[in-house]
Amino acid sequence: MNYYRSSTDPAVKTNSVPLGVSDLVGLQGLDVNDELLITTWLQYSTTPVSRTIPLRIKLHVWGPAFGLESIDAECLAAIAAFRHIIPNDAWSLIASNNTYLSPDYTLPALFHDGTWTSGYMNIISYVIHHITSYANQLADNDLTPQIEADLLAYSSFLATRGSGLVALSLYASPHAWVELTRPAYSGLLPFPLTWTIPSAIRAAAIEKAENLGMGYLAAEAEADEADAGSGTETTSTGFMRLRERLGPGKSMRPEQTAAIRFTQLATDFFTTLDDLRGSGQYLLRTSSPSSLDFLAYGYLALMNVQTPYPILATCLTANRCSIQFLQMMNAESQDYILPRREPKPRGLPTTLGIFADGAIENIAGAGESWKRWRRGGINSAEEEKAQDSTGILLGIGGVVVSLAAVGAAVLFRRLPPFGASTHRFEAPREEKGLYRFGEIGAMLDGLPMFEQPPAASSPVLNMI
Amino acid sequence: MAATVEGPKTRPRAQDSTSSGWFTIPTPLARLFKKFPLLTYPPNELPARSPEIREVPTLYVFISDEDALAGLPSFNPSCLKWQTFLKLVGVDFHVRPSNNHASPTGALPFLLPPSTPGNPRPQIPIPSNKLEQYGLDNAKSKLPKDPGSRLEAYQSLLDHRIRNTWLYTLYLSPANADLLSHLYITPTTSSRPVRARISYQLRHAAELEILRSTGRDAIDTAALYKGAKEAFHALDAVLSDEKWFFGSEVPALFDATVFSYTHLILHDGLAWKNQRLKEILREYPRLVNHRNRIFRRCWGAGE
Repeated sequence: MNYYRSSTDPAVKTNSVPLGVSDLVGLQGLDVNDELLITTWLQYSTTPVSRTIPLRIKLHVWGPAFGLESIDAECLAAIAAFRHIIPNDAWSLIASNNTYLSPDYTLPALFHDGTWTSGYMNIISYVIHHITSYANQLADNDLTPQIEADLLAYSSFLATRGSGLVALSLYASPHAWVELTRPAYSGLLPFPLTWTIPSAIRAAAIEKAENLGMGYLAAEAEADEADAGSGTETTSTGFMRLRERLGPGKSMRPEQTAAIRFTQLATDFFTTLDDLRGSGQYLLRTSSPSSLDFLAYGYLALMNVQTPYPILATCLTANRCSIQFLQMMNAESQDYILPRREPKPRGLPTTLGIFADGAIENIAGAGESWKRWRRGGINSAEEEKAQDSTGILLGIGGVVVSLAAVGAAVLFRRLPPFGASTHRFEAPREEKGLYRFGEIGAMLDGLPMFEQPPAASSPVLNMI
Repeated sequence: MAATVEGPKTRPRAQDSTSSGWFTIPTPLARLFKKFPLLTYPPNELPARSPEIREVPTLYVFISDEDALAGLPSFNPSCLKWQTFLKLVGVDFHVRPSNNHASPTGALPFLLPPSTPGNPRPQIPIPSNKLEQYGLDNAKSKLPKDPGSRLEAYQSLLDHRIRNTWLYTLYLSPANADLLSHLYITPTTSSRPVRARISYQLRHAAELEILRSTGRDAIDTAALYKGAKEAFHALDAVLSDEKWFFGSEVPALFDATVFSYTHLILHDGLAWKNQRLKEILREYPRLVNHRNRIFRRCWGAGE
């Protein structure tokens, strides 16, 4: 399974390529986007000196959906930030929809200078430290320590609470999932992957919501889905259960009951953002947008999506301050043309590999270990390589126990069923008389007329 | 259906009482049995740890028996948070060692309110998510007004970045395995296989929790510690030179939450082998002082 990594890594480890014409022939690893660069270089390089190709800034993201640039909040935020800070001929936007590109299996992923950086916060910090020529467009650089602390805290708040709300609204809600989000993913992914990846993303989103203490809302949505799927509900004894419709609590759909609590959470969320922004234009009351503004834009834009039960969107619309902010961010760069590039086609083997991977992850019991084994579990950079022996012991013990169980099962299957009468089939002991003629002989042997005289076993006895 | 089930059960019993002497006890045996009991012992005392008539509420936390008697801080951050908060608002309470299985919600801490003499019914335990209200209702000292929505944002730093790093440091870092087993595993059982199993479960749960929170497929320790460092940096900046967080006159719940981590990270009584988190925190003396201030306020003398 390692070929995903190896197919991307070696080609990109070189950050400065000493170029001769012979080298150019060998540059198979570069994709379509680099042809432009190479042509440019050919125009400039009248003297054959070793030059450094400015490897382009490539942003890999999830593709567009719901009329937005991307289906994912962090990708939206990254696109918005890049749109603001980098001129459109200096970077390219690739809707690759392929989390297997980056070593962290996360999008958005920035590829620059031979390194992958993934996740919005990491990308912004990478841009600030490594692509310094553009970073001064961001307000992040000159903030007081207090405001800087706010930036971090609110970013963390958005990434947790905000993503929890988005997960509930777009992923956990069964109606939104069936009618909106799953079709959107189906449009983004090639065929067999639409079976594995969206459901894995949904499971992760629901888990995330659970981790934030919003699990009870997700659980109700799940229950609702099970309900809708089976049509009729049965009691534990197998009878059809009549729906109780007594109070208002009972007559509402579970999603509606959850809606009341959900609204409360959402209102709290928007209020928190509004309190921060106050009367300022941007969230941190800076004169130009900071990375926090783009992140907030990413989440708010997804919250504004009209789902079948648009609780979140309604809350957002009701909150004038937040919706104004969203509109302002939307209007910010209307005339900017995004430097979209087509992703490299994945090829059938890669697609099938990813599909197989997703399929194995779905095997009950084994999936988790597989994922853990393949994606590394814990990578500690230094120290602590001491393998804990309990894990190994447990592993060995598990294998032994399961082997024993399998052995016992096989043995059990070979035993006659308990309580059944036993039949014994035995070959006739002696091959004498008519038995010598096989089955027919055995039948005839029963007839009295062919009865053989008892054979004398020894002549001595005969004499007595 | 019910009648048919009932039928065969009741009929034989009716026959028993009327018919034959099969089920009557022979007289000599009956006479012998009448002599029992030969001696009736007085009722046992309740175990020393069982809840007595309580004047003060009892908070059930993860803590060693000795520390519980002395009322010292718990070694579990979420328990310590509420223990500190209740102390800060001036609620009088006892701490008792306990574990998750004892809790009605499956998680510690929970609080058992004092039993009232007139009301023989057992008190309903208060789970941790209602402890804030309980603390405010029974507070002796006045609490500051709500510091507003900034608190929520900073709370997410504690709940995710710092908590994840804490989980990694205590549960997953192999260097701290001894400390983990000393705190959570050894007190529960003396059986080695059970210990191995519990240890595995704890680690697995911690790993899952971190993965869920970060939304990644693998735990990157460098990123975790970097995240914690940034979070402490932000907390240090927002505390600045104030005494308590968000410019409050008196310490509040947020101070208790910060303290629950900073105290345990800095506490010398815990044998941290992986000192990385401690070293990171030591770079922020204002947070260290904040922790000392709270410790002095709640437990008298500083360390």
